[in-house]
Amino acid sequence: MKIKGLDIIMDKQDQEIRALLKDYPMPEASAGFFDQALVRATHEGSRRQRNRWLMTGFGSAVAAGLVLWMVGGFLLATPDLPVADPAIPGITMTLEEPRTINLVFASAEPLDAATLTVLLPEGIEMSGFPGQREVTWETSLRAGKNLLPLKLIATSPYGGEVLATLRHDDRGRTFRLRVDVG
Amino acid sequence: MAGSNDIAFEKLVRPHFDRLYRLAWRLTSQKAEAEDLFQELLIKAFGKLDDLIHIEEPGSWLARMMYNLFVDERRRYARRRMHTLEEGDMQGDGLAGLPGPDNPAWDHERRERIKALDAALSKLSDEHRLIVLLSDSEGYKLEEIQDLIGVPVGTVKSRLHRARARLREILSEDGTFSSDTSC
Repeated sequence: MKIKGLDIIMDKQDQEIRALLKDYPMPEASAGFFDQALVRATHEGSRRQRNRWLMTGFGSAVAAGLVLWMVGGFLLATPDLPVADPAIPGITMTLEEPRTINLVFASAEPLDAATLTVLLPEGIEMSGFPGQREVTWETSLRAGKNLLPLKLIATSPYGGEVLATLRHDDRGRTFRLRVDVG
Repeated sequence: MAGSNDIAFEKLVRPHFDRLYRLAWRLTSQKAEAEDLFQELLIKAFGKLDDLIHIEEPGSWLARMMYNLFVDERRRYARRRMHTLEEGDMQGDGLAGLPGPDNPAWDHERRERIKALDAALSKLSDEHRLIVLLSDSEGYKLEEIQDLIGVPVGTVKSRLHRARARLREILSEDGTFSSDTSC
């Protein structure tokens, strides 16, 4: 009997909870929100599709740009023309001697709130971030070429690969740099 | 002037706006975030217009895409919720903009119960809260929830059962529901 009584209480409570949940309110969307969202989606969607093509082109060009900057800083690749993937560029560093490499990012348009992440192999550090293997920060890119100098220091003789990944919205591009320590 | 793609897109998605917005709100529990999620969904869906045209049930397809977007971005939404909490305005966001006491249907007791329900729901895990809201507030069938979150019906059923039991427990503990049998 006692269990039956408990069941009755639970049933009653369940009914009350379900009735409350059924009417659990939610605020309406802001006035005009759906129309604005639709317009933004078609504009932004078209822009992203265009940019996807541009990124395909300038991503490779930027990788090429990285090599060119590092081997002498001349002859920048045209950013919006696809080029064949180059081999992974490489540099040779001297132990404990800082060396600046320049990453070149060519963007077809200004990009706000892009994220750049640099992954470092053991024994290679970024100046100002001792002991950190991963450094991430937010940055903005201007239309055209953007130069990012990274000062690296080799703290061990092993070398490795440095990865720099630029992300914006759902797009991303990773640049690789082989570092040997001589 | 709208292009043919824009028109085709609108025709496919607009009939589902209300249900999708409700889902966005149930997922995020905050108006600004619900609108962000909804917007992001439309942008992404427009990029997949070629696929969308051939989908038999665009509503379910869009809902799944929204759920996946939310799961992918959950950390971002959780982080934002934390910031909102720090600013001290998380409480009651879900109740903001709702009918006030001047609405005859909105009596004090009911308002208090909704507040208690709001607080109790926030104590459930994300999975439990979502399932109970989809089922009991939005009227989704078990199969629809299965389709949306990608777990078997049996799992949905047991999660729903546990979620309701936990909700009852919380509401009984805080005195919202009396435990006497005077009925």
